[in-house]
Amino acid sequence: MTFSSSRRVAVIWMALTLPLALFAQTSPKKPEPQRPMGGVSTGTPATYTSRRTANITDPNAPVVFAEITDKTPLANFRHRSGEAAKDYIFETPSGGVAIFDYDSDGRPDIYLVSGSTIAASRGKEKVPRAALYRNLGNWKFEDVTDKAGVANERWGFSVAVGDYNNDGRADMFVGNFGVSRLFRNNGDGTFTDVAEKAGVARQGWSTGATWGDYDGDGRLDLFVPGYVQIDLNNLPPNPSDVGKNGAVGQNFCQFRGVPVMCGPRGLPGEGDTLYHQKPDGTFEDVSVKSGVNDSEKYYGFSSAFVHVDDDRLLDLIVINDSTPNQLYINKGDGTFDEIGYPSGVALNENGREQAGMGLAVGDYDNDGRVDFHVTNFSDDSNTLYHNDGDTNFTDVTFQVGLGEISIPFLGWGTSFIDFDNDGWLDLFVVNGHVYPGVDEHQWGTSYAQQALLFRNIRGKFERVGAPPGNALANAWPGRGLAIGDLDGDGRVDLVINNLDAKPVLLRNVASGTGHWLGLRLVGDVAKKSPRDAIGTIAYLTAGGVRQRREVVSGAVYCSQNDMTLHFGLGGAMKIEKLEIKWSNGDLETIDVTAIDRVITITQGKGVAK
Amino acid sequence: MKHLSSILVLFVVATSATAQEKAVILAGAELQRVVPTGFYFQGLSAPTQMRNSAAARFGTDRYVISGLVDTSGYSEDVRAKYVGFLIADSSITLNVESLPTGAYGFSFGIAGRLTVMDLAGKDLMSVNISNDNSLRRPHPLIMAAHPRWWCAAVQRPRLSHRGAVTQR
Repeated sequence: MTFSSSRRVAVIWMALTLPLALFAQTSPKKPEPQRPMGGVSTGTPATYTSRRTANITDPNAPVVFAEITDKTPLANFRHRSGEAAKDYIFETPSGGVAIFDYDSDGRPDIYLVSGSTIAASRGKEKVPRAALYRNLGNWKFEDVTDKAGVANERWGFSVAVGDYNNDGRADMFVGNFGVSRLFRNNGDGTFTDVAEKAGVARQGWSTGATWGDYDGDGRLDLFVPGYVQIDLNNLPPNPSDVGKNGAVGQNFCQFRGVPVMCGPRGLPGEGDTLYHQKPDGTFEDVSVKSGVNDSEKYYGFSSAFVHVDDDRLLDLIVINDSTPNQLYINKGDGTFDEIGYPSGVALNENGREQAGMGLAVGDYDNDGRVDFHVTNFSDDSNTLYHNDGDTNFTDVTFQVGLGEISIPFLGWGTSFIDFDNDGWLDLFVVNGHVYPGVDEHQWGTSYAQQALLFRNIRGKFERVGAPPGNALANAWPGRGLAIGDLDGDGRVDLVINNLDAKPVLLRNVASGTGHWLGLRLVGDVAKKSPRDAIGTIAYLTAGGVRQRREVVSGAVYCSQNDMTLHFGLGGAMKIEKLEIKWSNGDLETIDVTAIDRVITITQGKGVAK
Repeated sequence: MKHLSSILVLFVVATSATAQEKAVILAGAELQRVVPTGFYFQGLSAPTQMRNSAAARFGTDRYVISGLVDTSGYSEDVRAKYVGFLIADSSITLNVESLPTGAYGFSFGIAGRLTVMDLAGKDLMSVNISNDNSLRRPHPLIMAAHPRWWCAAVQRPRLSHRGAVTQR
């Protein structure tokens, strides 16, 4: 661009990043109009001949998962969040799910979060309930919600598991729209909500939380993202108000020209909260002091304490909706540096803010560094950030085959999962739209959407198709996702929490899978490692491939994966090396003589007999 | 295959200022004081994305301000066209086109051009823009006093976002 001036001039440059041609591969070959920058790109009013997000099957695809929900009591659970019209933003993003072993019997259990309704919040109808299912083995589950006391009769969104009091029993933080809860595990099959007493009864809209010992004192701390400030007594305009008296002059949001509920853009965001655990087991709010309070009030959805660099300090990543993602590097003095922009994870490769929802954490290319996969809105791609080292990340989404295919989907829960045990982390993504009205138009998307399974072929991904009639051929209004080996057969299973619907329990029935090893890690509290080993990294070498796994609380999308570290070994029959970098920085090399089983390793004591 | 492509646009706003009127890129409270929190365009006021706003001061009291807006309340056709605002309290020149004092909306046309519109959405001018594909970390919107500084700054590892728009 050239500029003219007749005299000496003062000059400024302005740089703007412009996204182009979101539908370059899928829409008619005509020039694309410009779309808004930042936030959600809602696409042009193109007409498609198929939904692209449902009923896509492949008769040649392998059978990987079998849906067995109806054979279990989970079929009785119905998530509920608002009304079917989804006129308000808080009715759409719930809810999380956790796989964790609450009773320490070696079998991971399932906790499903439910939302609520405006009427229930006003005391005019019964509040929907969360549910805890005890795993009895052999795909038998028992609903123990009442006995355990974890119904959380509030507007629930998220669950993050951590043994905050280091007593060897997994506790749960449940993030609510309203007052959140901390369910302390009493060790007798019951929980007690100690949020008020402990000082973590966060108010507002709490989303995907994460536990982690950021200051190395051996006690878990808690980070909770905040989403949007909403007052149920002063609700924003909704699409059903369009055309009504009094609605003149209000800004109504639109999706492809059709009025839809607003937000989060234009709504006031909510800051984030870091609770530091004190020696007496109570927590103090150190958000501002530590520098992670999110003064910009971005719309936080997911978070994870995770080791981004090579030091022993836990870092923190926060995924935000319609605003930049944040990456906090732990400085070791109780404070963090936010480096989202310079690290490359704030925006996608085009410098564009995306509608971040879920977060997968894992080393997909086995280079020893943690990478991140982030789900986004429809008409936009999900994003895979490759960790280049030295806190630099590169958006490699399209290079590795995850870009174009994800564009019609609105993604939520995402998790790396080695479903075939070949030693390379595959990827599972749960989808579902927020606007029920999309089913009334040929927009190439749908309200209920198929999940996406991608096979990792040495760092490149290809979609695993859905055989007709198979679970992956079904479309769900998916939200939360959790993975874990529920039947102990060495193949990782998963649970999906669906909006206003029953959950989905998927049993991994893949054939020809490789050998495997599961690790349950126990930290040494005396050495200032949290007992549940959150923040511990295991490097396993087998068959010439060195894999990295980390014990992480939270992430996925408002959900919790089983913390047992699962390694696929492919055809390898022996472990060449197992290195463990404990939460406190201690390094150990463990001699593992047997595979195809779960072993427990205690810090400083080796493999349990 | 890369599906999303991007254009990084660097454009210069030149004033008829004297040599003493060097551009100062505003930051912090000074920036917040001049950037409007919302902007009217074609029948609606939309909130400004303050994180994606910038301003420059010329001399003591003359400003050029720009920002992106949340256009979710607009119809599809307007939203496809309108992405942000440009405010100048003195006349400026874009390429050879002169833009008088005023407040404007802007967008990017389909052929790599920047379109400036009046508040009713009427096109006033359309000027060429250029790409810079060498930028490793593009941002939605940043103002800089010097392009070479800008290029170096945004590619420097671990530079804060706010730092990128505030240094001179």
